[in-house]
Order: sequence, then structure tokens, then C-alpha cells
Amino acid sequence: MSRRAAAALGTVRALQSALAAEHAAVYGYGVVGAHLTGSQQATATTDWVAHQVARDRLEAMLRSAGRSQPAAAAVAYQLPITVRNAREAVALAVVLEDRIATAYLGLVALGNAVIREYGAQQVQA
Amino acid sequence: VAAHPTRRVMLAAAAMLPLAAVSGCDGVDVLDAPPSPAPDVTVLREAIAAEQLLITWYTAVLRDARDAGGSPAALTAVLEPLLAEHRAHLAQLRSRLVVPAGSAATPSPTRRAATPAGPGPGSAGVAFLRDAEQAAAAAMLDRLRTAPGSLAQLYASISASEATHVSVLDAAAAGTTSRVTG
Repeated sequence: MSRRAAAALGTVRALQSALAAEHAAVYGYGVVGAHLTGSQQATATTDWVAHQVARDRLEAMLRSAGRSQPAAAAVAYQLPITVRNAREAVALAVVLEDRIATAYLGLVALGNAVIREYGAQQVQA
Repeated sequence: VAAHPTRRVMLAAAAMLPLAAVSGCDGVDVLDAPPSPAPDVTVLREAIAAEQLLITWYTAVLRDARDAGGSPAALTAVLEPLLAEHRAHLAQLRSRLVVPAGSAATPSPTRRAATPAGPGPGSAGVAFLRDAEQAAAAAMLDRLRTAPGSLAQLYASISASEATHVSVLDAAAAGTTSRVTG
């Protein structure tokens, strides 16, 4: 495989990982929001929408950069934490954000300057 | 003192010999000026200096809070964990700094900005730290553009951590430390 092809494959893999994490977050935040009230629920809703936007952006990046089919969301996800109350809902959100940050760090290691910067911004978001 | 020379003693003895004698060549290369550090190293040193500055400022605000008396416990509870994270950042950054033997050991002063004024007392100190964290997070993002992959990941992580500190300090300034994750 040529170096260029290997780099392109690495880019697609990293984007797909981030996309998979965003799919899981969109699912997970639905659960998180259901257990929160008031301002906490409002924050969770804002984050939920932000993850939907990020998911769409990654799908667009995959279609243009890699010319590859974006990974689809699973029908359901096994949540890492059983959520029965607000405290557990917030704990789940923390785990989701942690996994997303890790996935976006994969983008930061890439050579493509635009994708790298996007990854770095998303780690921070 | 060991009876037999250890490797360290041998190295020290070797270091005292003229360089040309050790290398066994005519000394054309060894007599050259020390190599200038790679651009990565310069940027890494800037990052290290930035973390050191933040640590200095946190330490100053904490010290002022103690000296002022009153009940600094709430402020300390907020600032100490953040300071600990900056110390961890600094350790990580320093571990990536590999200085080739013979290269200039001290950071070049050319790109060093004038040291900004330090934090003020009381709530002004927290506001100052908040702005400093925000600026530091942005500067880290700038650094990762040209960095090698693994270093870029470290800069991104630190930048993200510092961005989180901004919201923690905002919450502290608002008089509450409760926060919803985001």
C-alpha cells in the first residue's frame, strides 16, 4: 500500500471511530436527559443537539474525504452505567464525553491539518 | 565510594577528555556550533514555560488567600485540584523534552513575551486565572497545528483540560461549584 493510501485509510478509520462514539452519545444522552430535570435537563438537551450536529459533520467529512460509507448507528447500545437517577445520569454523561474525547484524539494525530484542528476543537468542546 | 569505577564514573571521566580525542576523528564535526533545537523542541519549551507560569499564578492566588485570612477553604478546594492538574501537565510535557547532547540547553529568549502582570487579590485573582486558562487553552491549540502526532494529542488533551478549568473557575466566581458535565 502506498503511503498516501495508508494515510487515507488511517483518516477514514479515525473518523469512523469518532462517528461511532457520537452515535453512542446521541443514544446515551437520550437516556441522560430522561433522568434529569430543570437546568440540568436543559444542559443535557443542548449537549444532545451538539452531538447530533457533530455526528452529521463527521458523516459529511467521511463522504467527502474518504469517499466511504459512514458507519451506521446501532439499534441499541449497552450502556456502561445503569441509569436510575440524576446522579447516575450525570455519571453516564461523563463516561460518554470521556469516550468521545478519546475518539477525537485519534483525529488529532492525523497529518491532515483541517481534520486535526477539528479533532482538537472537539476534544475541547 | 565504590572500589571499582562504575559506569557513571567512566562517563564522567570520558567527559573530561577533549572531544576530538573521544570521537577519534579530526574534530571537524565536533567543533561545529551546537545544533540548534528542532522547531518541535522550541514549541515544546514554550508549552512548558506556559504551564510553569500558570502554576506560579495558581500558587500566588492560593498564597494570597491564605495570607488574607478569612475562610479560604472554599477557594482552596476549587484551586488545588486545578493546580494539581497543571503539575501533571508539566510533568507530561517535560517527559517529552529530549534534548540532544551539546545543543543549547536553555530556551532561546527571542520568542519569549514580556512576563505579564500577576493575578490580583481576592476575586480578581480567580478572574485572572480564568482568563489565563482561556488564553492557555487557545495557545495550546495553536501549538498542535505543526506538532508531530503524539505531541499534538498531548497538546489537545491539555488544551481541553484548560478549557474545562475555565468553566470550573466561572462556576467558582458565580459562587457555586456545582456543575453539570458538558
